[in-house]
Amino acid sequence: MRIQVSRTGGFAGIARHGEVETAGRPDAADWEALAEAAVAGGRGGPPAGVPDGFRYRITVGDLAVDCADPRLTEAQRTLISRVLKEGA
Amino acid sequence: MQPRPKNGLQPVFCTIVPPHVLDKLSQADDPRLADPARRTLEADGARRHHRRVTALARTPGAARTSAPVPAKPHRTLYDCRHGTDLPGVKVRDEGDEATQDASVNRAYAGLGATFDLLLTEYGRSSIDGKGLPLIGSVHYDEKYNNAFFDGEQMVFGDGDGEIFLDFTVAIDVIAHELAHGLTQYTANLAYEGQSGALNESVSDVFGSLVKQYSLGQSADQGDWLIGAGLLAPRVSGVALRSMKAPGTAYDDDVLGKDPQPASMDDYVETDEDNGGVHINSGIPNRAFYLLATALGGNAWERAGQIWFDVLTGGELAQDASFTDFAKLTVAAARHRFGEGDEAEAVLKAWSEVGVPTR
Repeated sequence: MRIQVSRTGGFAGIARHGEVETAGRPDAADWEALAEAAVAGGRGGPPAGVPDGFRYRITVGDLAVDCADPRLTEAQRTLISRVLKEGA
Repeated sequence: MQPRPKNGLQPVFCTIVPPHVLDKLSQADDPRLADPARRTLEADGARRHHRRVTALARTPGAARTSAPVPAKPHRTLYDCRHGTDLPGVKVRDEGDEATQDASVNRAYAGLGATFDLLLTEYGRSSIDGKGLPLIGSVHYDEKYNNAFFDGEQMVFGDGDGEIFLDFTVAIDVIAHELAHGLTQYTANLAYEGQSGALNESVSDVFGSLVKQYSLGQSADQGDWLIGAGLLAPRVSGVALRSMKAPGTAYDDDVLGKDPQPASMDDYVETDEDNGGVHINSGIPNRAFYLLATALGGNAWERAGQIWFDVLTGGELAQDASFTDFAKLTVAAARHRFGEGDEAEAVLKAWSEVGVPTR
């Protein structure tokens, strides 16, 4: 399963992209559970976002959800941090 | 007036040294370094009082409203302790002594300087005009490379130390966030496309004005940079944005190159970043810089007044385009200063960046 995170916006306006292919990883099940939880928390259309807040697109397989700081679910926040290796 | 220096150092602290250096110095063991730096950070009361009196004297009507409004800020700072629950733990309330935490103290001082500029120069009490308390949270999340305004308060990350440092190190960044609140309570520019880029630009303009105001710099002395001191030492760049020369703030292996256009010829069409709100803001940013330097003197006086008048005047639409905004600045210049240098300089500034004003 391919997990992608794209981040745009933010004070600096600098985009970031990261992805993880879970196939063959010993921790694949953990990643997939986290990714599914992140996507489940994001349904309901793109959020309004806040000035200078980061905006994210999380893509898990064929599913994509949009979310934005500071209103992320814990699963989204954890996934974004792990994939981008930065705070979210 | 500043007290006469006892040694050669004090005037330097008052005008040039950035706040983060002052913070470091103020914590120094050597009182010759620490004392003047601390005094500067605390913002000399006499000087502020003098500014307030002179400013109110020359803004007739602006400060007069039907109900009395607070003439002092009410700041409250919180510490997120690297979590993401807002606002966090209260660490400094208005009037409290400085804390041991430089981030808290910098945010407190930055919010104070912004409140001071709005009140003394434009006769506005806080961002809502009614003395709204100002709330800031520091140490948000871990290695968090951002600062934002969530509609109710300002939030500052510490940076990851690799690309960005603590977002409170730059007073213009603190004022930028607070200015988002000012915009929200006034024109409420939609955060998308050109109106979003105007929203961003207005925050950069007032961010830069607060920095120049707090350092006592005239337009030709200001650095016109946003986020100077915010980039980690290994990054090739001077700041995040340059109002004077958009597109030149950084050029780095990891960060890429500053994507800001300096004129409409290079306007960037994109779906990212709400339609490039942090990119195309370079165009109105440079128009403001050109106006302020053409007029000379203190940028917050005439150029800043014109921008403030447009933002708060009630005629700026939420979905305003660059041209809509530009037209209103011409009208505001004429309304406040008559036909003269100011209106001419406004027309010329927009013309130079390729934004039509008719």
